[in-house]
Order: sequence, then structure tokens, then C-alpha cells
Amino acid sequence: MSRRRGALGRAWLQMREDPWLQGVAVSTLTVALAIVGAYLALCLNLHQAAARLATGATLMVALEDEASLERGRDLAREVAGWPEVAEVRLVGKTEALARFRQQLGPHQGLLEGLTDNPLPNALEIFLQPGLRAGPEMAGRLRSRSGVAEVVTSRPWLHRLEQGGATLASLAMALGFLLFLGVVLLVTNTVRLAVYARREQLEVLDLVGASSGYARWPFVLEAVLQALAASLLASLLVWGLLALLAAPAELPLGLDLSQLLGLDWRVPLALMGVAVLAGVLGGLLGVGRALRPRGPA
Amino acid sequence: MVLLTRVSKRYSGRPHPALEDVSLHVPPGQFVYLTGPSGAGKTTLLRLLFAAEAPSSGLVRVGGADLGRISSRQVPLLRRKVGVIFQDFKLMPLRSVFENVALALHVAGRGPNGLNGRVSEMLAQVGLADKAQVRAGELSGGEQQRVAVARALVGRPPLLLADEPTGNLDPGTATEVMRLLLQAHAQGSTILVATHDPKLLDLVEGARVVHLQAGRLLEHP
Ligand SMILES: Nc1ncnc2c1ncn2[C@@H]1O[C@H](COP(=O)(O)OP(=O)(O)OP(=O)(O)O)[C@@H](O)[C@H]1O
Ligand SMILES: [Mg+2]
Repeated sequence: MSRRRGALGRAWLQMREDPWLQGVAVSTLTVALAIVGAYLALCLNLHQAAARLATGATLMVALEDEASLERGRDLAREVAGWPEVAEVRLVGKTEALARFRQQLGPHQGLLEGLTDNPLPNALEIFLQPGLRAGPEMAGRLRSRSGVAEVVTSRPWLHRLEQGGATLASLAMALGFLLFLGVVLLVTNTVRLAVYARREQLEVLDLVGASSGYARWPFVLEAVLQALAASLLASLLVWGLLALLAAPAELPLGLDLSQLLGLDWRVPLALMGVAVLAGVLGGLLGVGRALRPRGPA
Repeated sequence: MVLLTRVSKRYSGRPHPALEDVSLHVPPGQFVYLTGPSGAGKTTLLRLLFAAEAPSSGLVRVGGADLGRISSRQVPLLRRKVGVIFQDFKLMPLRSVFENVALALHVAGRGPNGLNGRVSEMLAQVGLADKAQVRAGELSGGEQQRVAVARALVGRPPLLLADEPTGNLDPGTATEVMRLLLQAHAQGSTILVATHDPKLLDLVEGARVVHLQAGRLLEHP
């Protein structure tokens, strides 16, 4: 325990002696981690967007104009009892119009001349996970009284799901490469630190320091630098995303600010990545350089 | 304590060996002067004794350990038992005098309890008590040399190797440093002092003198 604290104390001491080295290490690591962070944020947001799309209503039941909201409520209750159905939501025509307005965004003017609401009352049906709406179910719904039209799930959604698996493994591979890059960066930074302090290390070696005595402060130094860099990188990514996320519309009802938002998990993940890279890179960087030097 | 048997040391790319067929036995408790002109091989011989160099041939034994065979893990353990005063001091210039001296105890795992008192005591003995918190790099050459002496002696090593320990000192301070070495000798340390300063030899009565000449050893009576 006291040995550990000793190593941390020595790490702090040698860091204070080389502010220039700290600047180089933390700034390069910040840039690298910011790239990782932006990548993580993007992946996470895309994943969430895909999840939002995929869990959207898979069936849309438009009611006849004459059908009352009461009839809609009855039908909703009935359908909710079907085993394959997870959830049913009744969307009244007023709500539907409000939504439509929102989706139109800057083009709301289109609706100005409207005197009455042309949209029908409708049911949105969410199925149990893994199920798809087949023609049999659509037929069953159509046979109910008051139903004007049944719209089944969009074919691109299936394609999205199929592509999803490939995309996920691609994203993992890319993420791994990025992580490897950070580890190598830490390794080289530690090598630089070892080189800058080769004279002190020689002294340690000559007075009989074990290789661990000289080694641990470098690993701890790398972890501390990586932690500091992860905080800076989170700020950087957050600022950058906030700057870029001007309100703009994307297809499929997505909006850019959702894609460019910074989830609280990203800084946490970045911290984890930083500590791991600090330990790995620290050990790698110090491993070769500080092998105990016996006789040549 | 020290036993060299037919030791030679060749540096690669050098036509002449730095040491050639050197045999030397130093029993525990002896005080030995290692003399010889510049380039004779004094530093090389001392470096063999704390495993900073390996012999090209021959056997080097220190305190019973065969330095040609010890593992790299054992090297630090050996060095904690061998105090070395380096010709170029090998101090940490950014660290304080106190920290430089304490280092020798700290690497050996000594906690702050015994350490602080012992380091202060040692600094008082070399006359640097008032400079304990000064950075070693800001000291004069002679002061740095005394820090090096203090660091070598602070752990009361059974074997002390001193490479020109008075090279940068005025005669008064030189005598003072030799007095410290004698004191360590009196407390039981075995001592090897490399020097090309003949005046030093008179400071220790009854010391053994061995002479190196172009890598070969000659014993003086
Ligand atoms: N690392 C090295 N590489 C190559 N040659 C070396 C090395 N160290 C010493 N030598 C050579 O070995 C010979 C002996 O050197 P050494 O340093 O042992 O002499 P010395 O007696 O200590 O001299 P001085 O009194 O000047 O300190 C010299 O010729 C020197 O050039
Ligand atoms: Mg020399």
C-alpha cells in the first residue's frame, strides 16, 4: 500500500519536473481521444436513431371519417389483447395534425389555408419484438368495422435490420483500430518520457532501484495524462457537436441535433478507454526501455 | 569480499583491452588504493564490481556472488550493498540534496522513519546540512562530490567503491572526505579508492596500493 503511494508520489514529482512533456502528451492524447469520442457519440446516436425507427409503429390503421374516437378506443382495446401485439396507441386527428405540423417544420405554411383537419383518427400498433405484420393480420384488421385502411411496416426497415449486423461489426473493427491508435500514441509518449529522463533512470539503475521502482511512475504518469486528456477531449467533442448541431432536418423524421448530441455515457466511456490505453500503452512503452540493465 | 581471477575486458572497436589478465583478491575490511594514469582502466575495474560491465573473460566475485552469472533481477540487490562514488557523481540535478541522498535508502524500501534521521546525519557529516533543500544541480562541483559521497555512505554498504572521490575538492575538503571513508572503513566496510593523486596515498596509513598500467595490474609493497 505504501509502496503504491510511493509510486504515485514519484509519478507526480516527475510530472511536475517536465511541464513541457506533460503539455505534449496531454494535447496529442486529447486530439486522439476527441476523435474516439466523436466516433463513439456518432455510433451511439446512430444506434439510438435506428432503435427509434425500428420500434416505430409497424402497423398503422386509419379509421373511417365517420368512425368516432369511441370506436377507435374500443378497437384499440380489442387489438391490444392479441398475443402478437405489444402496444396500441390511439392517435386522434388533432394530435396527428399537430405532429404533421411539427414534421413540416419550416414548411408549416403549407397548412395555412386549411379550414378543417383532413387527417383521420388512427391506431398505431407496435408488435412484440421479432414479429412482423403479415397479410393475415392486416386482413383481420381490415375486416373490423370503421377501419378505412391498414398500412403495414415499411420494407426498408427490414433491410435496415439486416444491414445492422454488418454495420455493427464494421463499427467495432473501426473502434478497435482507433483504440489501438490511442494505445500506440501512449506507448510512444512514454518512450519519449523515458528518453527525456534517461539520465535520472541511469541514476536509479546505478543506486539499485528495482525495475518496478522506475517503471510504475511512468505507467501512472501515462494513466494520469490519459485521464486529463479524456476530460479535455469530452469538452472538445461536446463543444464541437454543439457548434455543428444547427437545427436542420434529415429524412425519416430524424433531426441533426439528435445525431450530434453528446450522451453522458460518452465521457464515461472515453475515461474508460483512456485508463485502459494508459495502462496498456504505459506498460508497452516502459517495457522495452526499462528492462533491468545488467552487464552488457 | 572481492575476487578477480584472470579478468580481461575488451570494448568492441578498441584495439587494446581496457583490462588484461587482472587477478586481485580483496579480503573483507581492507582499504585499497587503485592507482594509475588516466586511461589505465581504473573506472573499468570498478564498473565490473557493481555489474555495470561484464568481463570479456575471467571471473568476478563480489560478496560471494559470481557477477558473470547473476540474473538481472539480482543486480539491484547487489547494488544496494555496494556504495559507489562516481567520477561524474551521477546525481539528479533537479532533485534536492536531501532527495539525492535519500534515494539510496528509498530504492531499498526504507520507510520515512529511519530514513530522515539517517539522511540528515549523513548530510551533517559531509557539511551540507544547510543545503539539504537546494537542488543538486545548483551546487558547486565540490559540493556535488560531497553529495555523491553522502549517497554512497548513507546505506552503510559493506563494500564502498570510490572513483576519484577527491577530484574536485580543495585539500582541506579532500582530507575531510578521506576522513569519512576512513570512518566507514573503521565501521567495517571494505573500501576501494581509484585515484591518480599520489598525495591521497599518504592520508591513509597502512592502506594497500595496487597500480594499473595500460590494463595490467601491479602490486606495490
Ligand atoms: N564504454 C567504453 N567504450 C569503449 N571504450 C571504453 C569505454 N570505457 C572506457 N573505455 C576505454 O577503456 C580504457 C580504460 O578506461 P577507464 O575509464 O577505465 O580509465 P581510467 O583509469 O578510469 O581513466 P581516468 O583516470 O581518466 O578516469 C580507456 O582506453 C578508455 O578509452
Ligand atoms: Mg576513471
